[in-house]
Amino acid sequence: MFIRLIAESMRRSPGRKAMAAAAVAMGCAVATAMLGVMLDVGDRMNRELRSLGANLAVRPRAQTLPVEIGGVSYRPVSSEEYLNDSDVPKIKTIFWHLNVTSVAPSLKSVVRIRDIEAPVEGVWFQKGLRASASAWKVDGQWVDDSQPDPNGRECMIGSALARRLGVSPGSDLALFGKTFHVQGVLTTGDEEEDRVFVRLEALQQLTGRPGRVTQILVGALTKPEDEFARKDPAKMTPVEYDRWYCTPYVTSIAHQIEEVIPAAVARPIWRVADNEGRVLGKIRGLLLLVALAALISAGLTVWSVTATTVMERRSEIAIMQAMGATDWSVGAVFAAELGILGAVGGIAGSVAGAQLAHWVGRAVFDLAAQLPPLLAPLVVLLAVLLSLAGAAQPLRRALQAPPAAVLRGDA
Amino acid sequence: MFWRYIASALRFRRRRLLVAFCALAVAATLATVLFSVYSDIERKMRHEFRGYGANLIVAPADGATTVPLEGVAEAERLGLVSAPFLYTPGRVNGENVVLAGVDFQRSGPLTSYWRVAGERIADDGECLAGVRAAAHLRLEPGSRVEVEGSPCVVRGIVTSGGPEDSQILLPLRRLAESRGIQGAASVIQARGDGQRLEELRDDLARALPETEVRLLRAVAETEAAVALKVKRTLFLLAALILGITVLCVANNFTALVLERKREIGLLKAIGAGERRIAALFVCEALMLALASALAGYGVGLGAAWWIGRSVFGPVGAVGVDFQALFPVALTTLAMAAIATSLPLARIWKIEAAAVLRGE
Repeated sequence: MFIRLIAESMRRSPGRKAMAAAAVAMGCAVATAMLGVMLDVGDRMNRELRSLGANLAVRPRAQTLPVEIGGVSYRPVSSEEYLNDSDVPKIKTIFWHLNVTSVAPSLKSVVRIRDIEAPVEGVWFQKGLRASASAWKVDGQWVDDSQPDPNGRECMIGSALARRLGVSPGSDLALFGKTFHVQGVLTTGDEEEDRVFVRLEALQQLTGRPGRVTQILVGALTKPEDEFARKDPAKMTPVEYDRWYCTPYVTSIAHQIEEVIPAAVARPIWRVADNEGRVLGKIRGLLLLVALAALISAGLTVWSVTATTVMERRSEIAIMQAMGATDWSVGAVFAAELGILGAVGGIAGSVAGAQLAHWVGRAVFDLAAQLPPLLAPLVVLLAVLLSLAGAAQPLRRALQAPPAAVLRGDA
Repeated sequence: MFWRYIASALRFRRRRLLVAFCALAVAATLATVLFSVYSDIERKMRHEFRGYGANLIVAPADGATTVPLEGVAEAERLGLVSAPFLYTPGRVNGENVVLAGVDFQRSGPLTSYWRVAGERIADDGECLAGVRAAAHLRLEPGSRVEVEGSPCVVRGIVTSGGPEDSQILLPLRRLAESRGIQGAASVIQARGDGQRLEELRDDLARALPETEVRLLRAVAETEAAVALKVKRTLFLLAALILGITVLCVANNFTALVLERKREIGLLKAIGAGERRIAALFVCEALMLALASALAGYGVGLGAAWWIGRSVFGPVGAVGVDFQALFPVALTTLAMAAIATSLPLARIWKIEAAAVLRGE
């Protein structure tokens, strides 16, 4: 009887039911899309901010103080200290290795070109420099160093230095008595504009420092610093320390790098690390509040649809009551009907919402959003609950009204 | 008669209409919030990037080693925040160290990312020490050091992760005097409005012909990219939310007409023309929409102000955009009119006798 009642009701006015379900579905689509984008955007923006450059600098645990201005060292080369080539891959073995987006080792030196003392840096072009500095402008081409070659004679040169020397992409340049081919001219706005870049292995060989690097710049996706991150790890309780260690704060990543390379000091570059956190925090906060506004409106939509559905059917309720149905059985029929409505609308809405979130992700970041798997069931559950909640008040009013008055059309 | 009918129709069905009113008011609120937040978001996001410090660098041109100090005044005249820096190798307590001359009064906004233990500003006879230099020379705030032969008190220890870490920072004037440098600096850093950066760079380059004015691409491009992406995300989400809300409200308003079959039948029976009935319904919907738009606008402005304030702090509280009223009211009214008009064709089809008999 119960099931027949519900089935009948569904069949009798499919149009009306479909409209209500569609409204619920739309509310759920907004909620899913909004939450999906909100949860996803932090990670995407974090990657976007990586184009500011590395946020960690790894240097040898030196006894001496560097005396360096604009990349030119004022200290004899013999007193320099180095890290080893073999240390570089170790950075990819730390606990948060998946958050490390770029590792850029470099070896610094100075070279005399005609009468100019120019800083020269040996680098990884494709894996290092290019990955950590996507905002740099290049005239010509990046050096393709995917195959190591100590005899590779390609170089890139900063635009200020290129202008002084009168070289352009395609010209040749004499460095360390060898002829180098200029592949690209870099415009960065910073000190790199006065530098020459060559392959790391080539510079190691030419300056007689095989296997040495001066510093490693690391780009990592980090969690914005909060109160907890500012605590001194040395004074933490073991539980706090574990929590700190297992959170990708820039300081804990620095600590982990020092663990795998004991001869190194890893320091956050605060200019990048500090602001990254602040900007990300603002973006998250903004989207959170917009999402909140959208969720409230989606909730109200679902609520108003079910309230209307019940209000329209007061005479039906009166008939059921007149035939002797108890308040409970009337309530059960409506709860079942609206539950089905909420579930159907919720499922359709969360599927559509996921598509919309992917669409937003693709339109802004060229990459579909990744939604947490629990999101859809949660939205459906919320839709069902809200449908029931929306019906509760008007249903109570309808049940309290005397059936005779309703049926006569007085109430 | 026409208006009396509308007034009593609104009163008689107030409970049902209240639901419709709420739905539409929520839509209007949402529209106002999104419009206000969106119209201002780019400026606010760019403002957040101020902590990255300089986005323009005035560097010595080919062959020269210094830039004229007038560059600072020129930059300030163009509305930029700017500060000169002077770098030179020197001796501190008998060790070779890079000495940095800093105009502490001006450099503050450009170096907000420095983490300083102690004072941020050093006067004559005082200095700040980078954290590596301090560790190496065993300095702490209050220590006395000998810089270039004259005594100096360390006021603070600077941690930045950059070159400052291994420098000793002195007041620019003092370092310049001891080196016999007049009216010059190694580099001038400046920060300008990211949206007109190219223009500012060109203006500054014209004003300072013997220097090279460089644009820090990493900062400028990331700022532009992030501001643009936040704006686009917000735009798409706003369009999405509004689109779906419009559909929902339209659904609601359509139902308002459909459920009044008997009333339409009755009106027809007592001789009302179809056009007149349609006009009645549209008028009703428009009045409802106008009330919703005003209510939604008020609440929405409040919400936008609150979002602006709680995300961007008191500085960013300008999130209220009063111009939102016109588009919001227009959208709301159009939405109500269209949603009500769609099912109006039914008025012509309804047969008074059949409906009233209950068939």
